[in-house]
Amino acid sequence: MIESKAMAYVNMFGVLGALENLCVMDKPAKKILAGLKKPVSLCFSVKGGPCATFHFTASGCRMAEGDESCTCKMVFPGPEAFNALIDKSKPGIPAKNPVQVLSFLMGPFTALTNRLTELLRPDEKALKDPAFFEESTILTMYTIAGAISALANTDPISRISAENTVDGEVQLGIANKVAVTIAVRDHHFTTIKAPSQNPRATMEFASVALAHDLFSGTAATMNEMCKGNIRLRGMISMVDNINRILDRVGKYLA
Amino acid sequence: MSKYPEYVHTKSREWFDRALNVIPSGIYGHLGPTEGLFLPLEKWPLLSSKAKGTYFWDMDGNKYLDLMCAYGPNVLGYGDPDVDRAAMEQMLSGNCTTAPSYKMVECAEMLVDTVACADWAFFMKNGTDATTFGILTARAATGRKKTLFLKGYYHGNQPWAMKADYPGILPEEVANNIIVPWFDLDALEKAWTESKGDIAALIAQPYDHGNFADNRVATKEYWAAVRKFCTKHGIVLIVDDVRAGFRLDLAGSDHFYGFEADIICFCKALANGYNMSAACGKESLRSAASSLSFTGSYWMSAVPFAACMACIDKMKALDTPKLFRETGKKITDGFQAAAKAHGFDLVVSGEPALFYLRIANDDSLMLHQEWVAECVSRGLFITSHHNHFINAAITDADIALAVDIADDAFSVVAENHPDLGFTK
Repeated sequence: MIESKAMAYVNMFGVLGALENLCVMDKPAKKILAGLKKPVSLCFSVKGGPCATFHFTASGCRMAEGDESCTCKMVFPGPEAFNALIDKSKPGIPAKNPVQVLSFLMGPFTALTNRLTELLRPDEKALKDPAFFEESTILTMYTIAGAISALANTDPISRISAENTVDGEVQLGIANKVAVTIAVRDHHFTTIKAPSQNPRATMEFASVALAHDLFSGTAATMNEMCKGNIRLRGMISMVDNINRILDRVGKYLA
Repeated sequence: MSKYPEYVHTKSREWFDRALNVIPSGIYGHLGPTEGLFLPLEKWPLLSSKAKGTYFWDMDGNKYLDLMCAYGPNVLGYGDPDVDRAAMEQMLSGNCTTAPSYKMVECAEMLVDTVACADWAFFMKNGTDATTFGILTARAATGRKKTLFLKGYYHGNQPWAMKADYPGILPEEVANNIIVPWFDLDALEKAWTESKGDIAALIAQPYDHGNFADNRVATKEYWAAVRKFCTKHGIVLIVDDVRAGFRLDLAGSDHFYGFEADIICFCKALANGYNMSAACGKESLRSAASSLSFTGSYWMSAVPFAACMACIDKMKALDTPKLFRETGKKITDGFQAAAKAHGFDLVVSGEPALFYLRIANDDSLMLHQEWVAECVSRGLFITSHHNHFINAAITDADIALAVDIADDAFSVVAENHPDLGFTK
C-alpha cells in the first residue's frame, strides 16, 4: 500500500533531493545552472506534507527543509497535488513571486528535472555508456538514501522498522565510489549525503554494477550477501531494519 | 603471531556455490550466512561433512568446537550413542505408520511426568508449530482475538509471530498483536484495559534472550506477577521454551522461575537432533487443544519419540541443567579472563547455560564481530548476535581449548588495532 503523504516526502527528499547531487555530478546540469542570471530559492510547500526550499545558484543546488529565505514559493493543497508535479508535471499554485516561480519552473527547473529523469529512469541504450551508467547508479543511490529517511519518518509500515532501530549512524556505500549516512536518533531518520565519521553499522556494495543490479531488481540482496558481494559490519539489526525500509522504497519508486 | 593458524574454506565455498545455484540464499535462515551473520563470509565454514560430540567438521576437514550446538538441538553431543541406539532400534520396528506407534503414548507420558505444568502433551515438528498451537489453543479456549508479546520477541516464522514490516507479511495478519516492554507490569495492565478485555494469550520466553543486546534474566517475583495478571484476566500464559527448554530445568523453565505456564512449548533440546517439538498444557485447556484442526504428515513418527525418551532419560541421569550452568560459567569465566588480559571488556549476560557475549569497547559490535570471526576461523564456533548453547559432551579439555582459541583470537584483534591500546 502506497500512502500519498509518504510518497510526497519521497518525492521531495528522495527524488527532488537528488537535484543537489545532480548539480555536482552532471555536466549537462552544470551547463543549465551556468545560465542562471541570479540565485533562485524555490520553495515547495505541501499542505499536510513536506516543505522544502531548493537554493539554486550558477554553481549548484542546496536543499533545506522549510521556506526560510525562499525567493519564490509554490504551494500545493495536499500531497496528491504535489505528487502530480512529479508524476505529471502539474504545477501547484504560485504563492510568492509568481513571475519568478513560473519562469524558473518552466525553464531551468524543468530542464534539470528532465535530466534527472533521464538518469533515474534510464533507457537501456544510454546505460551502455559506462560514465552514464555510473552516474545514473550513484544518483539512484542518493535518491534511495533520501527516500529511506522519508519513509522511515512517514510511511506506516516503515515506521515499524524505524521504531525497532537503535540510535546511531549507518553508512551505505559502493566500494571506492560513494557513501551516504542514515543517522537515527529516537527512531527519527536523517539522510546525510556523505560518509559517516563514526558508523555504528555499514553496508557496502562491491561495485557500481552490483548496485545497479540491486536497484533495478535484477540481483537479490540476500543472494549477493551470501556471495560476499555485499559487506556488512556492526549493529546489523540497524541494517536489517533499513533493508526492510528499502523494500518499501522499491515499491514507492517503482 | 597467532598460535592457531587460520582455516581455509575452499571446498566449503565450492559446495556453497552449488547450493546458491539451486537453493535461494544457498543456506537460508539462522544457519546461513545472512541470518547467522557470517561477517566476513570467508571466515566461516558453510557446510559440514560430519559431527560428533561437541565438534563438527567442514567440507575442508577443518574441525570446530561448537558452542552453538545447531542453535540448540545438540544437547547431549552430536551422535549420542544412547539416543541414536534408541532411534535406530525404533527405525527397525517402524517409523511413519498409519496407526501411530505406541511410542507416542509413552513419550507423552514421560513429558507429563517430567514437565511440572503438564497435564497433557501434543506433538509436532518445529518450534513454530508448537507456538502456533499454543496461540490457536488460547484463541479457541477464550474466544478472544489479541495476543500480548514482550518486546524483542521471536516465536517462530508463522505470520502471526512476525511484524508488518517483514517481507510477505500483511498488516492484517499482525493487527491483533500487542507488544509491551519486558519487566513492565503496568504496561500489561494498560494493554488489557485498552484491548477492552480481548486478549487471548500472553506468549513469552522465560527471560529476555533476544539478539543484538545483552540478555536480561527474569526474577521469580516478575513471573509471579505476570502469572497473577494472566489468571486475573483469564489470559492463557504461554511460555515459549523452544530455546531454553530443558537447559535451565528439566521440569520446564517456568518451574525454574517458580511459576506454572498454561501451555509450554518445547523443541530444540527435546530429542538431541531428531525432529520433533511438543506443547504441554494444563487440564483446563485439554478440550480447546482437542478442538483444533492441527496435524502434519510426520508429526507422529515414532523414531523421534524413541529418541526423545532416551534423551530425557539421559538428561535426567546427567542432571544437564546443573551441568550446563557450571559449564557455562567455566567457559565464560575463561573468556572474560582472556579478554581482560588483552584489555577487552567482554560482557557476559543471560543464564550461564545459554550465555550471551558482547565486547563493550565499542558500541557498534564491530570489534566483537572481528573477535568472533577470528575465533571461528581458528576452530571455535561462536556467534556475534545470539545466545550460545552447551551440550553435555563438552569436557574440561574442550573448555580449555575454547578459552585458548578465544585468547588467541583476542591477540589477533589486538594486533589488528594497534591504535586502540589492546595487549597482544
